[in-house]
Amino acid sequence: MSEHAAVAHTAHEAGHVAGHGTSTGLDSRKMGLWAFIGSEVLIFGSLIVTYFIYKPINAARPDAQLPHEELGIMFTSLLAAILLASSVTMVMSLAAARNGDKRMFQIWHLATIGLGLCFLGGQVYEFYELSHHGLTLSSSLLGMTFYTLTGFHGTHVAIGATWLFAVFLKVRAYPDSPENLMDIELSGLYWHFVDLVWVAVFTLIYLLP
Amino acid sequence: MSFRRRPPRWLLLATMAGAALILSACGADLPATTTSPAGTHARRIYELLVPIFWIALAVFVVVEAILIYSVIRFRRRPDSGIPTQIHGNTMVEIGWTIAPALILLVIAVLTFRTQAIQSVQPADAIRIKAIGHQWWWEFRYEDRSIVTAGDLYVPVGRDVTLELEAVDVIHSFWVPKLAGKTDTIPGKTNLITFQAEKEGVFRGFCAEFCGEQHAVMRFRVVAVQPDVFEQWLQEHSVAPPAPSEEVQQVFVTRACVSCHAIDGFEQAVGQTGPNLTYFGSRLTIAGGALPNTPDNLRRWLQDPEAVKAHNKMAATIGPGKVQLTPDEIELLVSYLGEQKVSVPIPAEQ
Amino acid sequence: MATLERQVGHTPTLVPSKELPGWLGWLTTVDHKKIGIMYIVSAFFFFLIGGIEALLMRVQLGVPENTFLSPDVYNQMFTMHATTMVFLAIMPLNVGFGNYVVPLMIGARDMAFPRLNALSIWLFIFGGLMLYLSFIVGGAPAAGWFAYAPLSTKVFSPTNGMDYWVVGLTITGVASIAGAINFIVTIINMRAPGMTFNRLPLFAWMTLIVSFLLIFAFPSLTVAQVQLLFDRNFGTGFFLPERGGDPLLWQHLFWFFGHPEVYILILPAMGIVSEVLPTFSRKPIFGYAFVAYSGVAIGFLGFTVWAHHMFAVGLGPLANAIFSAGSFLIGVPTGVKIFNWIATIYGGSINLKSPFYFAAGFVAMFVIGGISGITLASPPLDLQQTDSYYVVAHIHYVLFGGAIFGLFAGAYYWFPKITGRMLNDRLGKIHFWLMLISMNVTFFPMHILGTEGMPRRYYTYEAGMGWEVWNLLETIGAFAMAFSILIFIFNVVSSLKHGERAEADPWDGATLEWAVSSPPPAHNFDRTPVVHSRRPLWDTKYPDLEVAHEAGSHGMKRSEAVKQDQVHHVEGDEAIHLPSPTFAPIIVSFGVTVLGFGLLYLGTSGGMTAIAMVVGLVIMGYGIVRWVRDAHADLPQH
Repeated sequence: MSEHAAVAHTAHEAGHVAGHGTSTGLDSRKMGLWAFIGSEVLIFGSLIVTYFIYKPINAARPDAQLPHEELGIMFTSLLAAILLASSVTMVMSLAAARNGDKRMFQIWHLATIGLGLCFLGGQVYEFYELSHHGLTLSSSLLGMTFYTLTGFHGTHVAIGATWLFAVFLKVRAYPDSPENLMDIELSGLYWHFVDLVWVAVFTLIYLLP
Repeated sequence: MSFRRRPPRWLLLATMAGAALILSACGADLPATTTSPAGTHARRIYELLVPIFWIALAVFVVVEAILIYSVIRFRRRPDSGIPTQIHGNTMVEIGWTIAPALILLVIAVLTFRTQAIQSVQPADAIRIKAIGHQWWWEFRYEDRSIVTAGDLYVPVGRDVTLELEAVDVIHSFWVPKLAGKTDTIPGKTNLITFQAEKEGVFRGFCAEFCGEQHAVMRFRVVAVQPDVFEQWLQEHSVAPPAPSEEVQQVFVTRACVSCHAIDGFEQAVGQTGPNLTYFGSRLTIAGGALPNTPDNLRRWLQDPEAVKAHNKMAATIGPGKVQLTPDEIELLVSYLGEQKVSVPIPAEQ
Repeated sequence: MATLERQVGHTPTLVPSKELPGWLGWLTTVDHKKIGIMYIVSAFFFFLIGGIEALLMRVQLGVPENTFLSPDVYNQMFTMHATTMVFLAIMPLNVGFGNYVVPLMIGARDMAFPRLNALSIWLFIFGGLMLYLSFIVGGAPAAGWFAYAPLSTKVFSPTNGMDYWVVGLTITGVASIAGAINFIVTIINMRAPGMTFNRLPLFAWMTLIVSFLLIFAFPSLTVAQVQLLFDRNFGTGFFLPERGGDPLLWQHLFWFFGHPEVYILILPAMGIVSEVLPTFSRKPIFGYAFVAYSGVAIGFLGFTVWAHHMFAVGLGPLANAIFSAGSFLIGVPTGVKIFNWIATIYGGSINLKSPFYFAAGFVAMFVIGGISGITLASPPLDLQQTDSYYVVAHIHYVLFGGAIFGLFAGAYYWFPKITGRMLNDRLGKIHFWLMLISMNVTFFPMHILGTEGMPRRYYTYEAGMGWEVWNLLETIGAFAMAFSILIFIFNVVSSLKHGERAEADPWDGATLEWAVSSPPPAHNFDRTPVVHSRRPLWDTKYPDLEVAHEAGSHGMKRSEAVKQDQVHHVEGDEAIHLPSPTFAPIIVSFGVTVLGFGLLYLGTSGGMTAIAMVVGLVIMGYGIVRWVRDAHADLPQH
């Protein structure tokens, strides 16, 4: 019991120092983010399930728009690569921060945001192209399910990029805060999740026959 | 609240009176009760309900009795100290996990047996389409090209399979005395099979909330002997003579023809409202809102909105819109009243 | 009744309060106790409104062919009654008690994320207000709380009501998910030393299970609502058959949320009962592990039975059988709980006070609701019973006889702790008996009405069906129920002013919340307690009790446990740091609400939508910046 004397933090305050004083030794904020990600998995899951329920129905309709006809994979593979690269830069950003390398952290972190914005720009362009080819939110079951799913994902990328930028600014404003490492890690965790969702969406929507 | 050893007499009497009152509901032959079935589908359900009800009653009595006994028996008394701090008993836990599981198993087996029987659609059943609209029921006997509304005629003692559809929102077809309910879903056809066991007129309801007038989307099932049913089909499938010139005039100029169809009247081909062929035989009007009497029909034609707020006909017909004159109404009332088949209608059950 | 602090011979710590004075204090608080009070008060307010909606409906149904309410208004009433009771009354009452009590029970100073906690309460309040705004701006939603498509789509529900329903509930949904995350982390990560899961109070157990249900069930509703919003405003056809959509998709998505939702509604009340019955029987809960794990089982199984709400839609006999089997199966863990509660009372020494009455009333009423639930689990029976008053009876026995009675038990139980005053016990018992009798007068005949063929969601019915006498009786019963609630309100108001002062431990309780003063200091515990058993306070008070079937003390013999200081404290100085009040959560909530308003104009005015969304985002942005600043300023200085 004596270790409690040495590490006499309140339960609340303990959350600030990763895992310290918590019942499990795990950081509270990280645990919370995982719970949130669990919830998000079900959101995307429901959207993906909707897509798959309507896929055969869509194919059987006279106004059918078929994925393999409408959705090209050239450009979107590039977007997937960009997003994957952004996860790599995110890992580098966290590593640099842990090493105390402020300059490299900033570079890698901004690179992550930049790549994320590239993805978003590309996604907007993709939507533009598709709608010009006749695939819109209301043009068919494919349109509805595709745009809702990828639109949700894009919104999450935008929120992620904003979060990353907010962390960037926060770390710049409070360089000595003991929370910075966890802030960076958490924003990165969310970012990786958003990237993973894209891998799933890309595979299931674009790559599956 | 303290009790003597035996519960007071007034409590016993009150309980018995209450029970008698409640159980009286089982025997009463009310127009829509599920406990006095007149159709095979409803009967099988009722026969499943009876044993389950008694099991449920037994569970209720036993559990509540033990609860009430415990509360009374173990009230703190001035001399009671802290009771024995029992944390649990694994054997007991296993016991009261297995016992309910077994009871539920029995109920489940009975359930699945009934369900298996109920889900069969016999090949030789008569097929009739029942289509839900906001807020009336359409019935089509496709093989005889009969389109009618409000009253569903079926033969006694023969299986009838309904093809249930809906044109706008989800409705549900429910004739409690004949069968359980099944939803009518736009874009889907559901099937339900039942057999009327005796003659009669049975009350039907829409049983899935479908908008403002969900409560007034009533219909009747008219079960008649097979030969009477044949006669009904025969008469109904023959178009009546076209209405008189004056009546036709009203129908056309007042836009009735755009919503209603009448066999034998060429211009009346509207599909959005009920088919009015042989309207005079119908038991109710306006989607079950009122009994089919001349006075009620006058009320309806004069101002549909006042009878059934926001119904589809009221969007066109009524004060401030297309307003029928009293003479026009009389013409229509007498015309429609005369359009009858000669089949006798059985008594209401 | 010695408090833990005094047991250790320690002088109470004075921690200066950081709370702002007056109503500003409420706007900026991040204290779980104040937030809990805010939840309870606002939820009770919505409960009363939902009750008035019910009374209006009962007046309309008191006699056949009544014209007291127009059909459209009646339909708005039952839609808002259910939406209010489920989302704006029972759920936030559960969260309110959870917020106040759970951190105390586990020996924590606050929730894991106090600022997020404040965000949740404000989002809830704004979301609820937004939902009610619909009455003024063109009509409340009128498609039922379950909003089946296609009825809820634009063609059949042309007013904005449905859009308010979607947006309002999405906002409160975010509040719920944030709250659930908060509870999960708090209960898993902030337990006092020695409080293993095996020693966690059952109310905390149930809150934890419910929180997992929330984060996994709400997404389904959110997706369904977004799809509905799109169908209504963006020309999609997720639920429109002519576009290839399927109305049943709505039902699957809704009930995949909806069924876990009913367990979200009932489990906390079950947790309360699991605390009250042992305390007032003066013996431990019978079968602690069984009660805890049956809760887990119910939570888990709750995700597998959603289509028992859809037995009449034509899924086919195999699907119906599978969902029916699962629904029967859920009866087993539910029964286990009931028997364990009765076994807790049996052999006890019952302190017949108001909390006990309501807890016992819960058990009695829930048995009835559970039994009708079993009959509904049988598809053939269900085909007669569903969509009739039989189901209305079932719902109200489990939600009123169950959840509400459980919540009143909690109210009478924890009122002394929260306010420092005792509620009048005599009035409490009058409230109980009147409410119990009137509840049964109101809802029992509904079993009969349903069996006699009366469908539900009917604004009127014909005479001559045999339904008149029951309906009239139910209307009278409903007003009697309302009167019983008035008694409660009177009790609360007068007790706040003149009630007997409450000591720390008025009920001779077992759990940690009774170890601190009534009301507790802002920092809850002067020293974080160390826990050695499931009933830390009880075992401190009665260390020499003979125990049969002891559990939860890790194989230690009772005498050895007693020799140690049964509940002692963290040694040495504890720096007590409380999070500071902040405006950030209410600002962010307000921004989210403005954003939400933008969504309401999606179909009608793109310009308004754009402006509202921009303004909302700006306000949110400012709030978030402030949040980061305030959080940083709050870090303990090393």
